[in-house]
Amino acid sequence: MRQIHIIVCVKQVPDPEGPAESFKIDPGGKEIIPVGLPPVINPFDENALEAALCIKGTHPANRITVISMGQKLSQPVLRKSLAAGADDLILLVDQKFKLLDSPSTAYVLSNAIKIIGAYDLILTGRQAGDWDFGITGLLIAEMLQLPSINLAQKVEIKNEAVFVERLTRYGYELVKAPVPVVVTVSGEVGELRYISVRSLQAVSGKPIKVYNAEDLQLDPQKLITRKIIELSAFHAQRECKFIEGESFQQRGENLALTLRKDKII
Amino acid sequence: MAKFIEKHKRILILAEMEDRKLASITFELLRAGREIANKVAGSLCVAVLGHEIGDVSHEAAYFADEIYSLNHSLLANFDPQLYSSALKQLYEHIDLKVIFMSQTLDNLSLAPVTAFKIGAQVITDCIRVTFEAETGYLLCTKPVYGAKFLSTFKLEKEPYLVTLRPKAFEPIKPSSKLGEIINFDPVIERKILKVEAIENVKQESISLNKANAIVSGGRGIKNSEGLDQLKELAKALRRHFIKVELGASRPLVDARLVPSSRQIGLTGEKVAPELYIAVGISGSLQHVTGILGAKKIIAINSDPKAHIFQVADYGVIGNFEEVVPALAKKLEDLS
Repeated sequence: MRQIHIIVCVKQVPDPEGPAESFKIDPGGKEIIPVGLPPVINPFDENALEAALCIKGTHPANRITVISMGQKLSQPVLRKSLAAGADDLILLVDQKFKLLDSPSTAYVLSNAIKIIGAYDLILTGRQAGDWDFGITGLLIAEMLQLPSINLAQKVEIKNEAVFVERLTRYGYELVKAPVPVVVTVSGEVGELRYISVRSLQAVSGKPIKVYNAEDLQLDPQKLITRKIIELSAFHAQRECKFIEGESFQQRGENLALTLRKDKII
Repeated sequence: MAKFIEKHKRILILAEMEDRKLASITFELLRAGREIANKVAGSLCVAVLGHEIGDVSHEAAYFADEIYSLNHSLLANFDPQLYSSALKQLYEHIDLKVIFMSQTLDNLSLAPVTAFKIGAQVITDCIRVTFEAETGYLLCTKPVYGAKFLSTFKLEKEPYLVTLRPKAFEPIKPSSKLGEIINFDPVIERKILKVEAIENVKQESISLNKANAIVSGGRGIKNSEGLDQLKELAKALRRHFIKVELGASRPLVDARLVPSSRQIGLTGEKVAPELYIAVGISGSLQHVTGILGAKKIIAINSDPKAHIFQVADYGVIGNFEEVVPALAKKLEDLS
């Protein structure tokens, strides 16, 4: 079989597993500022990379190109994708890429993908851990006029076709589409493989391509910033009534009695 | 069918169905839609997509002004390209200002694709939608950063396509006036279907969002014995609640102790039962965002500092292996 080329789009986000208190609203009230929290590759995008690596493993000639875009990107964070087994890393960096809305983001990425050239599969995470829109991947497909499959728990390529198990409310559906195709990946695919310090060191000097808005010949009018008019802390906090009792069993029993007293049961 | 012109504005709801009836989320969408329709003196419309869907349209007529019945054999099974093609034709036929869809797995695909086709501004997972009085722009509020923050976005270009989170809106009540049912026949060609369905695998059939009470386990439940104790608790709760389900946070699903269809949280179901019991769940933002709608939350955890206690109404600090059986036994006794 001929070699397969996979493009994986990854986003750099503040670590979503970071402690809640490290996320602050900036004084202007329009941005979230991570305080003392290192950026990471969005976890769903890491799942997408893992799916790509599994396909790459089926033939030595298969290639993976990772692209990421942002106003400011951390090379050490994104080089992790090379250490994991991606062949090329392309960064799209420009001040104009700050807080873009989803269609603008998809516009930038799809233009970069056109420059990269021939490919069989484009993978993205199902959504980003920061703004949680879950739109960009499918818009890339629409802009490139490609078929798309959302929410994959398994991705395989056989004989010029992609086979995907896509999540449904009742389980999953096995679907098939001819390449090239865009697939968004869910966490069920599995976590990104372990990356050793040695493999990180091995890619530290590997050249990376960096493009800005001008290189991509983007129309500045199509780079639209998200209009946030208000940001506030979401108060999920409740007043917790702790159930007392001398033993754990007694606390369990007392909980039942309290629920009866408060007419919850 | 005459195309409405001038300022007549339609707010369209995409009906969700279950067992050939309107699913409960549809009534929440209708409520959100009616409020917006009233503000702009527009009409509330429902689109029912599917194959042989007659009764559903009649049911919808009790709640909306116009019901568009899009009946086509190719709409029998969901496909984002086919469904968005049908919706685009409807959009081109009538004036639409706003489209509301529910935040379901299928609509996670349908919303962006439809938005692209009709040039709509799209936003997902909203819990509040209003118009800005002076400009008429749409203001949509949604949880971001794992529900730590609420962000309100301003959408300035019609049409707007918004997906709404289940349980964020109260259901609508039937109106005394029956809406008009309009058959709209979309032209759908099989050739636009690029993704071919091979097999639909139904795993365990559960509906967490319909449960009155949910017992959920997390990282603290280490093995199937622990899970059995939760099942016993669920059984005892059935003496007090009609529908009780077992749920889980992500670690239990990752450990393959529980199927992913029972996962609750950002990437799983969002639930709003009367009672939610979180056992051995630390309360990561990813999980908490899925249970915010619960009326009462009970946390059972051996770690007094666990974040789950901050979002709980009742807390028990202790080993669940001892707390849960005692709780279950007492719940049985109290019935």
